[in-house]
Amino acid sequence: MAVDGEAGPAPATLPAGAKDVLPVEAEELRELEGRIRAVAAAFGYREVMTPVLELAEVLDRAQEGGVGPAFRLFDDHGRVLVLRPDLTIPVARLVATRLADHPGPVRVAYLARVFRPPPAGRAQAAEERQAGAELVGAGGAEADAEVIGLLVSALAAAGLGDARVAVGDVSLTAAVLDGLGASEARRERLRSAASARNLVAWRRAARDLDLADPGRTLLAELPSLRGGEEVLERVADAVPSAEPACGRLARLLDLVAAHGAGEAVMIDLGVLRDWAYYSGVVFEAYAPGVGAPVAVGGRYDRMAGRFGRARPAVGFTITLERLHRAVAGQRPEEAPPRDGVVLVGGMDDDLAAARAMRAAGLPVVALPTGDERAERLAAADGWRWVAARAGDGYRVLDRASGRSFACDELQEALPSPP
Amino acid sequence: MPLGALFDESVARLAAAGVDAAPLAGAGRRLVVASANGTTFITTRPSDVPTYVEAGAADVGIVGKDVLREQVPDVYEVLDLGFGRCRMVYATAEGEDPTPAALEHLGAVRVATKYPRTAEAHFAATGRAAEVVRVNGSVELAPLVGLAHGIVDLTSTGRTLRDNGLVAREEIFASSARLIANRVSHKLQARAVDDLVSRLEAS
Repeated sequence: MAVDGEAGPAPATLPAGAKDVLPVEAEELRELEGRIRAVAAAFGYREVMTPVLELAEVLDRAQEGGVGPAFRLFDDHGRVLVLRPDLTIPVARLVATRLADHPGPVRVAYLARVFRPPPAGRAQAAEERQAGAELVGAGGAEADAEVIGLLVSALAAAGLGDARVAVGDVSLTAAVLDGLGASEARRERLRSAASARNLVAWRRAARDLDLADPGRTLLAELPSLRGGEEVLERVADAVPSAEPACGRLARLLDLVAAHGAGEAVMIDLGVLRDWAYYSGVVFEAYAPGVGAPVAVGGRYDRMAGRFGRARPAVGFTITLERLHRAVAGQRPEEAPPRDGVVLVGGMDDDLAAARAMRAAGLPVVALPTGDERAERLAAADGWRWVAARAGDGYRVLDRASGRSFACDELQEALPSPP
Repeated sequence: MPLGALFDESVARLAAAGVDAAPLAGAGRRLVVASANGTTFITTRPSDVPTYVEAGAADVGIVGKDVLREQVPDVYEVLDLGFGRCRMVYATAEGEDPTPAALEHLGAVRVATKYPRTAEAHFAATGRAAEVVRVNGSVELAPLVGLAHGIVDLTSTGRTLRDNGLVAREEIFASSARLIANRVSHKLQARAVDDLVSRLEAS
């Protein structure tokens, strides 16, 4: 590292919002992915992979106004390409085109990265690891419930047993506005207040509608309504025409409870993200101590038709970095050394022993004979044992206990993983 | 808790709403103070309040609408507290407004401000080109010494503007103190947030 005043190469920095992942974090992220993948597989969701680069004109079809902020570049024919800023849209494209003949319902999962230019001045990653699942070709509350049940199970398997999922419904909100006779211009004001999460502006817009109670009070409080079934009863009482929508959400709560996720779920009519893209239930999952949702999702019945075969769809996306942050807080501070042996001579004179132990499932980190960095290497990377030839047998250091011992055969002295 | 102009009124409103804000009065230079009932108060510059709330370091915060309009943080704006009323204005030196001449001859008007985003948005929305110069203090100085044609700044009584020979030409928006909440706290601590809102509303 260059000291003040001393010339050295310029620091090899990364673009804004980019970061490297070192072995410990990589291992932990892969562990989380593995657990989520196993839960998705247990529900019959099969993994798909889409290209990182897509044609902008195709992805932009997904919703009014296109896909929004993204890295864009040109191909050699001058066509605009986009680094996928989201996976729901490419997966919807894949299902609507490549799996158009599938009898349905189609259940797909993905574990991949998305790319978004970070807003200026914000500590936001340009690259995000996501895990998600989409259920295509199934409409009702039972499909919504399965996806929410899958999300809660996946988060629990990843170690987040106390996640909460807030569930709203843009069709219920629309039904309330219909029932109260709100004009399109008024809705636009409410919509922009909701998407800015500005409850002060929402209440002002609601007040300007000149409604009579109980509709007036209900509308003003709508995005602040959070709780259980009593919230739905209140809405249905105030706006009778919204009753079918409330009934659908109540049924969803029952089904989610039957999935074993009832404790985690609450109604929250303030979850009103992206009105253009979502058409029904919308939800966000929260973890204590993480200031933004660890997962978001919802129903987007109108998207598939823009790419190919129109089918209803519902799904979610977990942001792995946020999930990792949530569960990293629960890990023990000092991890014990991991099973594995740094074998001096394993790179040259003692290759046979290295091969035999690897075949038995024990990681062997090889060094050439006489290399004196063995103990420092084991400490840096957290390996439990250090072994070197001594006479006819081996000298072994166990870093878990701090003791050294001699043995004839390494394979007998070091327990192989089960 | 925002230090500065909004601080005293914020403490008073919280106390009136039955929040134990007494420890804040004797906080001295401490930045984090806890009350007996488990509330922890963080005091910081007003412009940092949204940053703490957005990241979840604070569940709720009090901050002026001027800061929210400038930073556009991803938080819930829960309640207009009504105090700390002031106006965001475009002001130029007394006498003839130099703005039309600048636009006609130079193509753009030069504006000094602590609120570059607000200033840019205002001139863009009114179909005029502006060169926005960011300064960090004593914005009133800029038109007096020829750094800019005008300023975009917050004013409550208009006294500082008058003292420096400036006149407000356009009002951009009216500001007041707002209660904001973190996205996750607004859900996971729904009852506590709602309770605070209804008590602040009633007080």
